[in-house]
Order: sequence, then C-alpha cells, then structure tokens
Amino acid sequence: MPEFHMVVCVKVVPRSDEIRVDRETRLLDRRHARLELNPPDMSALEMALNTRDRYGGKLDILSMGPLSFEPLLRVGLAMGCDHIVLLSDRAFGGADTLATTYTLAKGIEKMGGADLIFCGEESADGATGQVPAGLAEWLNVSQLTLLTELSLDLDKQTATGRRSLKGGYEILETPLPCVVSVKNASQEPRFINFSRKAWAYETERVTVWNAVDLNADPESIGLTGSPTTVSELARVPVRERKRIKLEGEAMAKAEQLAVIIRDSL
Amino acid sequence: MTDEIRLQLDDHMYERLAALTGGAVAVCYQCGTCTASCPWGLVREDYLPVRTIIHQAQLGVPGWQDNLWLCTTCGQCEALCPRGVKIIDIFRGLRELAWESNHVEKGLPSLLWSVYWSENPWSQPPSQRAAWAKGLDLPVFDATQHEILLYVGCTSSYDQRAQKIARALVSTLNAAGVKYGYLGNEEPCCGESVLSVGNKEYFKEIAGKTAAVFKEKGVTDLVVISPHCYDVFKNHYPMAENYLKPKHYTQYLADLISEGRLKFEVALKEKVTFQDPCYLGRHNGEYEAPRQILSAIPGIELVEMETNRSEGLCCGGGGGRMWLETVNAERFSNLRVKQAEKTGAGTLATACPFCTVCLEDSAKNLPPGKMRVKDIAEIAAQALKKPRE
Amino acid sequence: MPPSRYRENEESKAVWVYLEQEEGTLENVSLEVLSKGRELADVMKWKLVGLLPGSGVHALAKEAITRGADEIWVMDHPLLTTFTIEGHGAVVYDAVMLGKPSIFLLGATHNGRDLAGRLAVRFRTGLNADCTNLHMDEKDALLVSEVSGFGGGVVAMIEMQNHRPQMATVRPGVFALSEPDSARRGKVIDVPVNLKPEQIKTRILERVRSGVVDLTRVPVLVVGGRGVNGDFETLKKLAEILGGDVGATRPPVDAGFIERERQIGQTGVVSSPKMALCCGLSGAFHLLVGIDKADVVVSINSDPEAPIFEFSDYYIVGDVSQYLPVLIQTLESQQEISHA
Repeated sequence: MPEFHMVVCVKVVPRSDEIRVDRETRLLDRRHARLELNPPDMSALEMALNTRDRYGGKLDILSMGPLSFEPLLRVGLAMGCDHIVLLSDRAFGGADTLATTYTLAKGIEKMGGADLIFCGEESADGATGQVPAGLAEWLNVSQLTLLTELSLDLDKQTATGRRSLKGGYEILETPLPCVVSVKNASQEPRFINFSRKAWAYETERVTVWNAVDLNADPESIGLTGSPTTVSELARVPVRERKRIKLEGEAMAKAEQLAVIIRDSL
Repeated sequence: MTDEIRLQLDDHMYERLAALTGGAVAVCYQCGTCTASCPWGLVREDYLPVRTIIHQAQLGVPGWQDNLWLCTTCGQCEALCPRGVKIIDIFRGLRELAWESNHVEKGLPSLLWSVYWSENPWSQPPSQRAAWAKGLDLPVFDATQHEILLYVGCTSSYDQRAQKIARALVSTLNAAGVKYGYLGNEEPCCGESVLSVGNKEYFKEIAGKTAAVFKEKGVTDLVVISPHCYDVFKNHYPMAENYLKPKHYTQYLADLISEGRLKFEVALKEKVTFQDPCYLGRHNGEYEAPRQILSAIPGIELVEMETNRSEGLCCGGGGGRMWLETVNAERFSNLRVKQAEKTGAGTLATACPFCTVCLEDSAKNLPPGKMRVKDIAEIAAQALKKPRE
Repeated sequence: MPPSRYRENEESKAVWVYLEQEEGTLENVSLEVLSKGRELADVMKWKLVGLLPGSGVHALAKEAITRGADEIWVMDHPLLTTFTIEGHGAVVYDAVMLGKPSIFLLGATHNGRDLAGRLAVRFRTGLNADCTNLHMDEKDALLVSEVSGFGGGVVAMIEMQNHRPQMATVRPGVFALSEPDSARRGKVIDVPVNLKPEQIKTRILERVRSGVVDLTRVPVLVVGGRGVNGDFETLKKLAEILGGDVGATRPPVDAGFIERERQIGQTGVVSSPKMALCCGLSGAFHLLVGIDKADVVVSINSDPEAPIFEFSDYYIVGDVSQYLPVLIQTLESQQEISHA
C-alpha cells in the first residue's frame, strides 16, 4: 500500500493593514506590505501536522504564487511538513476562485493525488472561503468543511470530523479521499522547530511546477481562465473610532443609542 | 505478574539540560530554600515545587513539565539560594526542551507567532508601532546628533496604559534638554518575551537581527522603558559588551538629576511606596535609582512595603505570565496591592509596564481612588514645572 | 476560457434564490436574499424563483412567496431531510440546469458556502462570495457584486459577462427583510427528485444545535465589565434582542458571575462582531485586543475618564444599570412596531 499522502494548501498573503489601493490604476498595491502565511491556513497546518503525528504518512505543502513566496512557505517545513510544491507561472496570475481551484487540483493530480487535503477556512485577502469546496469538486472527492476536530479510520478509509454549525456542531463521516477545511482559529499552530530550520532551507525541499509541468489547459488558468472581472476597487479608509459622546436626558440618550444600534446592524 | 514501577532515567534529557544551562542543575544540593521562598506558595496550596523540579531534572525523570510555565522568573529563589544555583536558567532550559517536543502551554505558540509575523508580542500591526507618539513630533534617531536612543519597547508602544508612561518620559527628557531620537515604526522587538518562555533559539535569531539594526543605526547608548528589555540588552544580547550601553530610564533620570540637568519644581504632596520590578532589582541589582528620583521630588514621602528591594514581591507578569491567564485568587499583584495599602500610601509607584498593568488591575479590587498605580516616569513628569497661573 | 454548462444566450431571465431550511424553519438569510432578489428582479422585470430542497417543506413555500417569490420549486425527498453536500448538491444542480437562470443567489451560511463553492465549479462559472451588496447593471443586464477583502479593508465590484449562472453568496444580516405580504400569490412547482441513498457519501453521526458558545463571529457582542455588578441577565436579554451573545472582561469572570469561556481579550476570545456593546468596562488594553475588529464600538460607563471611550464610536457617560433597561425597552418597542 502506498504511503498515506496528505496535502495542506497554504497561501501567502500581504498583511491586511499594509496594503494600499493605487488611486489612479485602482489596483492593489502590495509592494510595501509585508507578507505572511494566510492566518486561517495556520490552523489548517496545525490540524494537518497533528493528523500526521497521530496517523503517520507524508505531509506536503501546496501553494500557488511567485517564487518570492518560497521562503515564507519554508516556515511550514520548519513546523514539520515534509515538502513544498509551489505552482508558479505568470500565466497563473489574476486567477479567481474557478481558475485557482482548477490549478490547485491540477497540482494535486500531478503530485499523484492525495488521500487527505487540508485547507484554511478562507484567505485573509480574497476571503471567498470557496476554495475548499471548489477543489473537492474538481477532484471529485468528498468534503468536510469548518472542522474543529478530525479523526481517521485508515482500515475503513474514512474521515470523521466535527463541523461547526451556528450555535452547535455536527459529527460527519465521509470516505477518503477528502478535502477538509479547518475552522479559523480553531487550532493553535505549533511554533517553528528550530532544529528543523537548516533542513527546511535546503534547496531540494521545494518543487516548482509551471503551467506546462501541470499539463494545465491554458484557457482555464489565471486571468484567462477567470470568468469574473473586477470593475472597481477601493480601499476602505482605516477605521478611526468616531468617539461621539451622546448628550441629553437619560431617556433621550437611550433612544439615540437604540437608533444607532439599529442603523449599524 | 507483579506490578513493577520502573523509573525511566532519561540520560539524553539530562545531558541536553546540562548543556542548555551550563550545568546549573548539578550544583543544587536540594535544601528546598527555593520552594520555600517562591511566591507561588503565598497563593497556591500546592505551591510551585521548585526543588522537586530541579531534582527531576538532575535525575532525568519526567514530572518537571507539570508546573513549568508557572515560574515568573522573578528570581526570589535565586536571591536566597545558598549554592548560587541559576534556577531561572534551569527553568528556561526545561522550557526549551518543552518547545523542542511541542509540549508548551496553550497560548504561548501564539505569542511567538505574534513576534514572528508582527514583531511584537501583542498581535498588533507593526505599521501602528509609533502611533503612541502621534503629535509629539519626536525626531528619528541620528547617531551624529543624539546622545541617546529612546527604546520604547512593545508594551509601551501598544498598550494604552503603558503608552502614557512613554509619553510622560518624553516630556521629562524634553524638560531636561536631552538630545534623543527614537526609531518609530522601525523599532525592532527586543525578544524578551521569547526568551522568558524559553525559546532560546528563536531569541538568538531576534537578538541577532535587532543588534544588527542598532549597529547599522549607530546606536550605543540607549535608554529603555521596560526593565525586561533592559535586562536582555544588558545580559543576553550577543554583542552587549562590545558596544551596547543600555540604561534603564530610572538610571538615566537619576544621572540627569545628579548632573543638575533635571530639576523638579512642583511639590507633589503624596505618600508613595515603590514596587521593585524584578528585572530592575533582583536581576540587575538596581534598587537605588528609582528611589533617588522619588526622593528628588519635593513633597513626596517615600515609605517601604513589608517586602522590598531583594525581597520585593513580584507582580506576577514575568516569565511569559503576561500572556497566560492567572486566576484571581492566585495573582501576586493582589497581595502586593494589599501590602501597599498597609503602608498608608495613596500611590503605588513602579518602573515597569508589566508591573503597572498587573498592579493596576489588582488595585481595582480596592475601593475607587484608594490606590493610584503610577510609573515613576509619570510621577516625574507631574513634578516638572509649576503650572502657569 | 472554457464555457460554462450553459451560457448567457441560453439563460432564462430570472433571479433564483436557494432557500435553506432547518427543521421546518427558513434561514433568516434566505429571506433576506429573497428580499434583495425581489429588488433585482423588479429592476429587470424578471421572475424571482425560490429553490427549496428538503423533506416536508411545502408549508415553507408559502412563506417564501409572501416575501416576494413568484415561483417556488420544491424538491421534497426523505434523503434531503438534513443538509448533505452530495444530496443537496445533486438536486440543486439538476434544478438549475433545468431552469438555467441568469442569476443564482445563496446565503453565505456554512451550508450555503459549501454548496455554492462546489456547484460553481460544476457549472464552470464564477462565484462572488460573501457579498456585502448586489445591484443590477441595467444596460447589460449584469449582476454587480460588492465584495470585501483584507479584513474589510478593500472593497471590489465584480461582474461576469458570459458565464452562467451569475452566482453570489450573501453575508447574513447585510440585506433588510422585506415586509411579508400575505396577499401575494405565487406558483409552487414540485420538482421530481431522483436521489439514491448511495449518492450520499457523508453520514451525519451526531448533531447538536445549541449550547456551543462561539463568540468569534457573533453579529453583536455585548460585553460586560466590573460596572455591570454581576447582572449578566440584563446583558443576555439585550444580546438576545439584538441576535447576539454575551462576553465579559476579566473581573466578572474572576468573580464567578459568568463562564471563563466568555472572557474577551488577550487571554480570551478575539471577536469580530458587527457591533461591540461595552457595558461598564474601563477598556484595559488586554480587553481591547478582543474587540479591535468590531465594525462599530458603543460603550456605556459611569467614569468619564474611562479609556474605552477613546476606543468607541458612540458612548454614554452614565450608569449601566440605569441605561440598559431603557435601552431594552426602546429596542423591544421598535421591534414590535416593525413586526406590526
């Protein structure tokens, strides 16, 4: 039996508080923003590492983006992952959810498939939260989303997860292979293990594939493969608290406050 | 089959620890003064068994993990240890082993990630680091023009309460005509929180980077607000001896007073007692500078609490405890505020942002207005000049 | 790029809305989307259709009609009793392929997101997720979706020319509910369901719909501090009216007035509600970290110097115990008016 293979999808994102929108081009200006691993993906990394600790197997990181993302992804190796596959090609740029999930699915296909694929709940930049389900559809596998806990039965080849619901949860069981999305902030990611750091920075830890390597349909990737178009983009001004003191008689103030509450919701 | 209890001696663990602590554990002869003097005994029935932990470490047997994260590294035990065992080094060493095996207290990995991604332990955006100085018009440090670098530190940069300490210090430095600059958003984290929870490898990386920033900017003399930053710059930075000359701000202000550059003109009719921050006092032997400042302010009556100087009770915020929850009944600061109350003082002064935050939380348990918690920088700023009529 | 399963020239001029139900009750957000869908359909003079999969859900069709639907397509089958991605995915896919609507909207609930993400790929179409607004570009008959990213720091307008359906999920609470019109008439269409048990791969082993406190994403967080004097009942009442939940600062948790799992801040929960209502708390930094991400902060505290006011959008200097009852009364009477 081949080794149990897990993949965790990780995105590198600019810090939300440091991106700007160029007033003229109306494009996102990320040049001055420092990069980080998408915070929700940190929960996915932890659940993946924890699952590997419990059940064994190989755990790879899959990401899409420019080569400059590589050093950040190596953080995941230092945390305990085995290998990185970075899908990098100019042609992948400008992808919406459809093109992104297609490309990631091609990456997993090229890796020889996976028994279990972990994703964060959503990305801090795009915040669509639609990648896990879309990826599962392309791969034609089942999905367990918004999990706070996961266990496996490798004999029965099933995954059982605790999926959060509004005010509650449900325990779901589904056959492997499966895509799992991990509820944001549900796992505290372990810190970098410094004894792994030198190893993590060795060249051979990273495999880079471009569109040709993936045998991807050129019409289905990047901006070309994205049916949606952005017509307008604007930066919402950084939140400054208004600091408005409500004055008047007690009754009047309470009524004023009630109106404010209703208007804000 | 008989039940047999086998004690596994973990030689590897012992050797690792010996290496990590420079053999600190070997010196201990198990007298137990440490356990008896540890302030956890004041608040917990099952105290912090310092001696037992050291013994477990000496033998290389498990058990030391259980209470590992309680230690506030206040150094009370070290101050009294007859063998001069570096007990804090042992705790930090054990914590380092815990990091290696991923067995650390919940919340601490998040603390380290915060430092990793945001360069401060408070999960705040780096782009807002200098927000505390808005409107103060502080110059960016220039080695050719400035006597000192004002190193603000993460807590005084972001914590609204501690920001007041930084602003008060700025007005005092201005009044004394000191030529100084700061680094604004570029100010790097000192890494003390990381060292205090025992991740020495990561701390080394931070210290290397931060030292490089100082070197590049030509920093030699720096004045720091937090005794925690002061301690790492002074005792744990790789090139400390070479060129960094850190001073805690109380030391610097005391110098300014003796040089005649800083004068207090306003009499503050206050009865004040002083909390010795562990990292200023026990860790670095500085008990006098803060008291000199208070004595130089007309009108202040300084009274001492029942424990003070090398026996002063810790606020509970060191050793990473600022990032862990301590239940109300077990907060040292509650006891400390009561000690302060007994002196009849209306002001509890300290010189550390962690102390200020912890003590102020506890002072809220007293009737309103009963005990004001102030940093010495704030008291000094109040005494600067006669208000214009 | 490859075409979607059907294209704009094959579309039917209609707005479709997925109606999510749980144990015989329609999700609020489904009704909100229906209300917005009515607006969009009116602009274009199109039809508004509700898609209702479930088991024994016919009664809900009438309710949806009173909220503006012209037609309800009911897919009734025992295998659709509870949401599974395979079951609901299959029947919704078939229905959409049958009706080929121009626009297909869903509430961005947990299930709505699962369904939308999967179906968008199955249709080979685009999807705008978690939209904060929707409107029609009348000239080109296109849906324009407003989405936000970077923690709300950036907003974008997104549209799609040729792929269909134009899919969007809508964040709960974004759109106002229209008034129900009981005189409204609509058509209820029974859609035959072809579903076999072996299609459902995911088994639900257990389901708990209450008792789990999750303050990270509540729409309204009512936080009580020392100044509440342990009266969390009043706070709970207020939270209930506003569809939110209650959190606390450290002192009331310490004092045992409320569970520690509700502690907000550095060593507790970091929440991102639409509104944080701070009652009787001074605003220590370790608390503020926990409500930093709130869209709006409102506070009441008797201490005019309380640091929380610096951090508030609106504030009242005064005693919480005096203001909360009046506030609750006012909000309740508003509610009665809007329901009348």
